[in-house]
Order: sequence, then structure tokens, then C-alpha cells
Amino acid sequence: MGLVDKGRMPAPLTKLFNMSRSYSLWVYQWGLACCAIEMGAAFGSPRYDVMRLGVIPLPASPRQADFVCVSGTVTDKMAPAVKRLWEQMPEPKYAISMGSCANCGGPYWDSYSVTKGVDQIIPVDVYVPGCPPRPEALLEGIVLLQQRIKNEDMAAKWRGIEATPNEQARLDRESDRSAAVAPAAEPEREPIVVGGGPIE
Amino acid sequence: MARLSDAPPSTDADETPALPGDGLREGIVDDLRNRIGDAIVDVHLVPNDDLWVRVRTDAWRQTADALKAAGFTFFGFLSGLDWLPSPYGKGEEDPTAEPEEPDTEIRQGVTGGDTRFQVFARLVDLDRHVGITVKADVPDDEPVVETWTTVFAGANWHERECHEMFGIGFAGHPDLRNMYLPGDFEGYPLRKDFPLLSRMIKPWPGIVDVEPMPVQDEPDADQAAQEESAS
Amino acid sequence: MTMMSERQQLSYIASQAADARLNVELETEGMTLNIGPQHPATHGTLRIICRLDGEQVVWAEPGCGYMHRGYEKLTEVRTFPQVTTLVNRIDWLGSFANEVPFILAAEKLMEIEAPPRAQVIRTILFELSRIANVSLFLGDLGVQMGAVTPVFLAFRDREYVLNLIEGATGGRFHPNFDRIGGLKDDLPKGWIDETRQAIAKLREFCDIIEDLLFGNEIFQSRMRGIGIIPADIAKDYGLSGANLRASGVDFDLRRDQVLPMAWDKADWKVWTHPDGDSFARCWVRLQETRESCKIVDQLLDQIPAGPIMTKVPRIIKVPEGEAWVSTENPLGEMGYYVVSKGDLGPFRVKIRSASFNNISIVPWALKGVYVPDIITILASLYFILGDIDR
Repeated sequence: MGLVDKGRMPAPLTKLFNMSRSYSLWVYQWGLACCAIEMGAAFGSPRYDVMRLGVIPLPASPRQADFVCVSGTVTDKMAPAVKRLWEQMPEPKYAISMGSCANCGGPYWDSYSVTKGVDQIIPVDVYVPGCPPRPEALLEGIVLLQQRIKNEDMAAKWRGIEATPNEQARLDRESDRSAAVAPAAEPEREPIVVGGGPIE
Repeated sequence: MARLSDAPPSTDADETPALPGDGLREGIVDDLRNRIGDAIVDVHLVPNDDLWVRVRTDAWRQTADALKAAGFTFFGFLSGLDWLPSPYGKGEEDPTAEPEEPDTEIRQGVTGGDTRFQVFARLVDLDRHVGITVKADVPDDEPVVETWTTVFAGANWHERECHEMFGIGFAGHPDLRNMYLPGDFEGYPLRKDFPLLSRMIKPWPGIVDVEPMPVQDEPDADQAAQEESAS
Repeated sequence: MTMMSERQQLSYIASQAADARLNVELETEGMTLNIGPQHPATHGTLRIICRLDGEQVVWAEPGCGYMHRGYEKLTEVRTFPQVTTLVNRIDWLGSFANEVPFILAAEKLMEIEAPPRAQVIRTILFELSRIANVSLFLGDLGVQMGAVTPVFLAFRDREYVLNLIEGATGGRFHPNFDRIGGLKDDLPKGWIDETRQAIAKLREFCDIIEDLLFGNEIFQSRMRGIGIIPADIAKDYGLSGANLRASGVDFDLRRDQVLPMAWDKADWKVWTHPDGDSFARCWVRLQETRESCKIVDQLLDQIPAGPIMTKVPRIIKVPEGEAWVSTENPLGEMGYYVVSKGDLGPFRVKIRSASFNNISIVPWALKGVYVPDIITILASLYFILGDIDR
């Protein structure tokens, strides 16, 4: 999209795109432990239906997903798989960390085999605390994510992407565009915590 | 084992109430003595409750054979015990109080023992509805015992886990590699001298309480202590 | 070899021949298939590495440890009430059932018993957690076969039980309700009537699942005769629960051992099945759910009045000793071997979890089966990752 990465996107169009993006999210359920059951209840059961928010649960693969919901304890043995999953997802992508195990290690904060929080591996947008958080809390987290998406600056996000080697090579070949794409780090994400309060 | 529903305990110190006999478990011990004889080092029998037997280390697999032939065909579990008191304490001590002297004496449990490590296993006889816990010492200088996989196929995974957690070797095991931990993990986690680093870096946040811990000498605590010491 | 069926013998021979072929210079190579660790058909992060020859499995091995949280080490640095909180999360679907054997072991060491009211309510909550656990199993069974509908029914009907548990204990799962000496609180007003209504709905759910899933021709042909485990192999590996009873062994810890719980106050039956195949295991679990509904109904009429907790000191120090208690949990036999040295917390806790033994049979059971049957056998053995990996 030539308009987007050159930063010449009119504001109403950005707003329209953001709104449609936030209401057509495809979530990859990375359910590891007990929180996976609450996530299943939130996404699959008719009582806490998540589809009414515009979020569809079961994508065929992570390459088609918009955001990932990491729920459950991440162990050191599992961490490389989580990293690989995150790298497989195409931009724009978001992450929700569900449950206290994924937030900070949770009840296993002193274990020898648990990664103390999934934010050590992937950048997290929304933290949903609880052990396990009620399905309503997870839905609140998704609503907060949707609000964040609606207020996003698409151009800055597009330009801030770190180009993969193939992409970089392609861009270098088209020399008139190589100046526009500066290899930058992943954009700074200011995470939100469901229920308010600071992140300690 | 006294229960609350029993009659109140007799206060006469000379009169010891007769414990109900446990013919089933005593019969099992006698049968085992017939089979493996002097390999039994110690027996702890709680009537109508449970049975512990400690055997010599070199008779570990022989015990398994004997018990399986005696009817204990159900394999419960197999694991290890490390009797060294932890040098790191529990991590729950009040940091403002005086640090206590750490206890370094190795005291084994119910059937005694001579070494720091012991292996123990549980087998059940499904027809007579009785289980038995067998223990054996693991020599300190060379922590290896025989494997049970030729007797009970299910011991395979349990021995792998025991090996990676305690460092106890199992001679004759077909495939003794890590069960849970990643391949490059160093150390044996369930040993008492394996530290939990998170606890050393950051003390448990719950130590600092808003209200003080309940005082020890309360009336109901005293009364319960008196009841327990009398029974 | 004699204990295998003829089909298994033929496939065993074929797998041996396949192994031989793989070792020689060959035109076709065996393929290594990696199922997991993240896969909708596995209850969590279990990785199964299979070597295939065409469509048949030559060698299979589960790779565990992706959910290993180090429970046994963590219990050594926690007090008894803290361990109760932690231990809920081993079998995370039937959560109250995890606390009970640990609390019973601690009570055994302290030589106290919970009052009768607490015993009956403990048993009711135990059976409710069994119903919650197995109802999700029945739903998930469909998903693993490829039928997506039953899992929505399961989640919907499971909500009734979770509401009850939340009403009594405050937590949908992970109740943290059991205490040494009794329970934390008494039941709220109106809970007994609501439980009766919920049990009626769950009976309907069992009937629906039996019709929808078990009566389905495709389900039957995928499940019958697959993964036969003879009784002596099952006992060798320590299979427990419905897996053992489906191989014809009549053993149920609720009936066959004496514990301070209230199972002997109700009139119920132990279900076994002679076949030992996947269908038998699933069928036994369905009948056990119905039996649990019956137990809960009967026990609700028999809750005695009285205190909910015996007198225990404020700060509990369990005297020195060792105790082993195991109960018939939804997954199988779950037991705790608690070693105490008179401290605030245990010295060592060995957690004997049912799924660890149930899955240790997978390398034996998957020899020579076809690829679709891998998932069938795993589904019928029913494990929960927290239980395998602790």
C-alpha cells in the first residue's frame, strides 16, 4: 500500500481501517495450561461468546492470525517454540498474555524450569491478571486491545517494521524505496493491564 | 492410630491398649522373609494401615521379583528420597529475626537408613487390596541401583525421572535420558543442595505482613497441644 | 507376543521388517512425524515423535517436559496451606480432587479426622470435580475424532458444575477449599437445591453425548478394536482409573480402601469392560460420570449437621513421619507420599500422578498402528499435561 508507508494516509481513512481491523481479528490460541480451559470457555462456549466482539477463534495456522493469546505457564523447554510462533506471525501482530503464569511466572515464580513471564520472549500488549482469569476478564482484555488498535497510527507502525533479510534485499534492489524503509527495531509497545494499575 | 471417634485414651501409663492385629500384612512380611530372607533390613508395620519394608541395596531387583510373584502386580511408582536438610532453609524466615542454626544432620525416615539417598517404590496387590512401600539405600560413593524394568515395564519412565532429578543411576536400564528437563540442563534439581535461584535473589514477598503473625500461645492452640500430647 | 491380537502381531512383524529396511540402503525412507507440542488434539503440550513406514508407526515416543513446573521441589519451600493452593493446578480440570489426597495425608500424619459434615461435603465436591473433568473429556473426544460439535455442548454443560463449585468455594476451578482438619467454609444457602438441578441437566448431557458420539457409526468403527491393552500389561505399567477398569480389572480405590470420606454412604457401582480397547475406555468413563451423578444425588440427602472443621492450632506444624494416601481421581489413581519433619511445610512430597503412568504405555501401545489411530489411542487414554509433567 503505497500511501501507508509513505505516511500520506488521510485521517478518516486511517480511522476506517483501524476500526475494521479491530473488529475482524483472528486470534491464535496458544493454550498451554489451566488458562487454556478458561480461554476455551471464553472463545468456544456460548456463554462468554467472543465472536460477538468480532474476534474469530480458530485460525488454520499462525501465519493467518492477527494476535496470539498466550495462556498458561511457559517453561524454558517451551520458550523456543513460543519465539518461533511469534516470528511466524506476520505484522501487524499483537500479543495478549493471559493468566499470572504468562504475566510473571505466577505461582511458580521460584521454579527452576519456568520462564518468569512470556514478556521475556515476546512483546506483550495486554496483560490479563488472574489465576485463572475469568472469561469476562479475558474479554475485557480483548476489548482493551481493540481500543488500542483503533487509536493506532498505521503509518508509523508500517514504517517501524524490521525488514526480514529477503524483504531487505528486495527493497535494496528497488533503490528508490531503500531510503524510505529504515531498518528499525520493533515499535515501542506500551502495555495495558486489565483492571488498571501499574505494572510492577 | 488413634482417631477422634475412638474412646478417650487411658490415662494409666502402665496399661497399653492392645492394638488390633493385622494378619494380612504380617502374613505378607512373613511370605517376603521366606522368599528373600536376609535381604530385609527393616520393617515398619502400622496395623490396618500401611506397610514399609527396607531391603539391602543389592537385593533391590530380587525384591521386585519376589513381590511380583507374591501377588503385587500393580506398579504404583518409583522415586528417590534425599535426606539431607536443605542448606538454604525455606525462604520464609522473617528477615528481621535472628537466623537460626541450620540443621545439617541427616536423619532418615520411617525404616531408617544409612545413606543420604534412598530409592523407594510402591506396589499394590489388586486382589487383596493392599499396598507395600519398599525402600533401599543408595550408596553414597557410587549412586547406582539395579533397574526394575525387566520386572515392571512401567518402571522405565519412573527411573528416567529419578535419574534426572537425583542423579541416581539404574544399572541395566535401556535408555536413561532426560524425561522432563531440556538436554542442556545442569544439575539434579530435587537434590537438597540445588538452590532455587529466584528465592535467593528475591525473598518471598509474603514475609513482610501488614498485620503480625498470630501469637503462638493462644488458648485453643494450647488446648489442642495438650490433647495431642495426651493421646 | 502371545498377548497381542493377530492383527497386532502382523503389524509387529511388519514394523520389524520396516526397521530392517530402514537400516539398509533403500529407495524409500521412513518418515519422522512430529505431533505437537502444540496441537489441538493433544490436551496441552505433549510432543509425540513417531517414525513411520508409510502409514504405520514403527516407533513412537512421547516427549514430555514442556509443562514441567517443578512441583516436587516447590513443595519443599512452602507451608502446608501453600502447598494445597499449588497442588490444585496439577490436574487442572478436576481441581478439588487434587487437594484431597494431600490433605488426607497431612491429616493422617497429624492423626486427626475431619468431622462427618466435612467428609460428606468433600466427597460431594470430589464427585462434582470428576463430573466437570470427564464431561470435558467427552466433549474433547469429539474434537480429536474430528467432530467439533460435542465440545460446545461440553463447555455449556460444564458451566453448571463450575457455577456450583464457584458458589461453594469462590473459584471456578482451583478452589483452594480444603484445609487440614476440614473445609474452609460451609455451603451457601440454596446450594443443595441448585446442585440437584444441575445434576439433572448433566444426566441429560450424558444421554445426549451417548447418542451423538457413542452411537455414531464412524466413532464406533474408529474406536472398536483399536489400542487393545491386556490386563497384565496394564498392571505392569501402572495404568489406573478407567483405563484399568476397561481392561477388565475390577479395582476402584473409592470402594477398595478405607478413607475418611463418604463413598460408603452411597449405593453405587463400579463399571468394568472386558475388551480393553479405546471404545471400552471411553464407555467406562461415560458410565462413571452417570455413577457420579448418582453418588452426588444420594449424598446431598445425607449431609449431617455439625462443625465444618476440627480444632487445629492456628499455625499447623505436622508431626514427623511419612504417609501415603491415594484416591480415585478423575484421571486415575493420584497419590501423595508426604514426608514431614515437624516443620510448617513438608520435607518431601512425591506426587504420584495418574497420567504419567497412563502415558508411559504409549511407546508400547503405538507400535504398528496407523497414523489416525495414534490420536484415537491417545484420546482414549486421557491425560492432562499438568498431570504428566507436574
